[in-house]
Amino acid sequence: MAANLSSMRHVRGFDVVKPLSITVMIAVMLPLILLPLASIFIFGTNKGLASFWSALSAPEAIFALKLSMVTSFWATVFNVIFGLFAAYVLSKYSFWGRNAVIVTISLPTAIPTAVAGFALLLLWGPYGTLGRLLDPQGIHLMFTAWAIILANIFVTFPLAFGVIKPVFDTMSLSLEEASATMGASRWQTFWHVTLPSLRGAIVSGALLTFARAVGEFGSTILVSGNLASRTQTAPLYIFAKFNEGQVEAANAIAIVLALFSFVIFSILFFARDWLEAD
Amino acid sequence: MDIHITPLDFGKAAVTVLGLSKSFGESRVLQNINFHVDEDEIVVLLGASGSGKTTILRIISGLDLPDTGKIILHNRDVTNLPARERGTGVIFQSYALFPKMNVEQNIAYGLRIRRTKRKEIKETVNRLLELVHLNDHRKKYPSQLSGGQQQRVAIARALAYNPEVLLFDEPFGALDAQIRATLRREIRSLLKEIKVPSIFITHDQEEALELGDRVAVLNSGRLEQIGTPFEVYNNPETEYVATFLGAANILNGKIEGGKFVSSNVSIDIDTDANARDGDLAKLVFRPEDLFLRKPENLTQKYQKLADGIIQEVSFIGAFERVIVKMDLPDAPTFVVTRPKTETVAFPLIAGQKVAAGVVRFRILRDPASVANAATKKGRNAAA
Repeated sequence: MAANLSSMRHVRGFDVVKPLSITVMIAVMLPLILLPLASIFIFGTNKGLASFWSALSAPEAIFALKLSMVTSFWATVFNVIFGLFAAYVLSKYSFWGRNAVIVTISLPTAIPTAVAGFALLLLWGPYGTLGRLLDPQGIHLMFTAWAIILANIFVTFPLAFGVIKPVFDTMSLSLEEASATMGASRWQTFWHVTLPSLRGAIVSGALLTFARAVGEFGSTILVSGNLASRTQTAPLYIFAKFNEGQVEAANAIAIVLALFSFVIFSILFFARDWLEAD
Repeated sequence: MDIHITPLDFGKAAVTVLGLSKSFGESRVLQNINFHVDEDEIVVLLGASGSGKTTILRIISGLDLPDTGKIILHNRDVTNLPARERGTGVIFQSYALFPKMNVEQNIAYGLRIRRTKRKEIKETVNRLLELVHLNDHRKKYPSQLSGGQQQRVAIARALAYNPEVLLFDEPFGALDAQIRATLRREIRSLLKEIKVPSIFITHDQEEALELGDRVAVLNSGRLEQIGTPFEVYNNPETEYVATFLGAANILNGKIEGGKFVSSNVSIDIDTDANARDGDLAKLVFRPEDLFLRKPENLTQKYQKLADGIIQEVSFIGAFERVIVKMDLPDAPTFVVTRPKTETVAFPLIAGQKVAAGVVRFRILRDPASVANAATKKGRNAAA
């Protein structure tokens, strides 16, 4: 994404506004974004790498990181596959209530995550609408890793769908028609023609979903029960350790999560050309 | 003597379209369309937008279903088969090349779907690349090709699986005027070389006349006339065909004693067995078939229409176009095109008085009186 720098031809000589506006921009960003990020790294490493390392390798910390990765992974797999399916159905077929479905699917972006977690508890919890029926069968979803996956699915649902649907919408129908006249079945057309055009959207949708799921806090803390080494994800671990006054332990994980999101967004940013290449 | 009766026998026609009708809601898009395409033949469906030509193409390829009628491809009734089982080759208006496949992969697609052996695919792709002169571009992606190159890929891609018929949907619509002219000559000679029956659709009459072995003129879902370019241009059967294929001058009148008569105009016509006195008729003639002379100079060679006043003379390149206001009731204006030799021999200016005569013309009888005659004939035959 090469930014086109337009030369300011209407200004003659030295342009004071340029250094001034850059300075103001950075001055505003500094306390709001840059310094908080920097302080994670400064505090996390000011007692030496050894202490950072031991904080990181605590069994509870490793468990929390693993749990975050695994639950986010399955939520991503589900949301990409189902998002792909939903986008296909919703852009291909028109039916009564289609717009209502599209709005509903996109809704979780606007719902506070704590509300999402609460809603899941009301449905699946021991006294919830469905949970009440499952509880006697010995099926308990809430306060397990399943609950975390459910919360992640709920919160990140619109992300992959939102990236994939526009690609379906703009895809020319004549590609599929051409494929059909050439003898391809629906499945062959989807596999050979439709899917390759979605490659970029699927990869970026998956990365966005995964990044968002790994950082999820509000809904997870309600549905997981926050049990150390059982249902405690990385963000919950940071919160718990901070509450216990173990700032270093919290900080070590915070660094890992910050680096992790930094990597994912770098991929999204720099690989965009590759992802969108024809 | 053995008698073989085949339930379907449409001779050597590659494509037969029988009684095709279709409506979208209230509007009738196609009304009883019948025509056929022979082996090695190029038929052009010519019509304005909304004439139903695209719908015919989509029905033949199986992308749309007709309300009634049949599609026969090489003696096989495919009316109820889905697009993928018909084996037609469609060249879409935007070519619809697969953007994530390179030229080779696009061409190989139809064979890959048919699970053809790898070696055979490679041979076919090489042969087709040679045929459409794209050997140097085999690894390129569609977005890296020019419009003409994309079109050749689209043709090669359709030819790969030996299609029953090639169907071209406004194939030159997306190209600029100069390239269009070159490309359609190229494509015509290519199709003549490989001998694959083809149907083109277009709204461009010049394109239709140049490309087609036969031209079918469509008007609001009806097939007005089908014939060789010469026939449809010189012997239009309806007013629509006459005016759609180039400019045409029209004079209303009636048949009387073997003549076409309109006020004080009287033109000798060939004796038509069905023409009866009193039938309403139209005299139709092309701008190049109307001749302007000094009133005293109009020779016996021409049948005189009337005198007129030159209204406008404009230079349009190879020809001169003259608009002349006739000295007839309602003062109709006729268009005349004159070649250079004539403009030099007899220069014209606006306001000049001339006499107008015709050599070639066509008499179109009023459809109502034609239908009348037909039923009478039918009754006589029945009796």
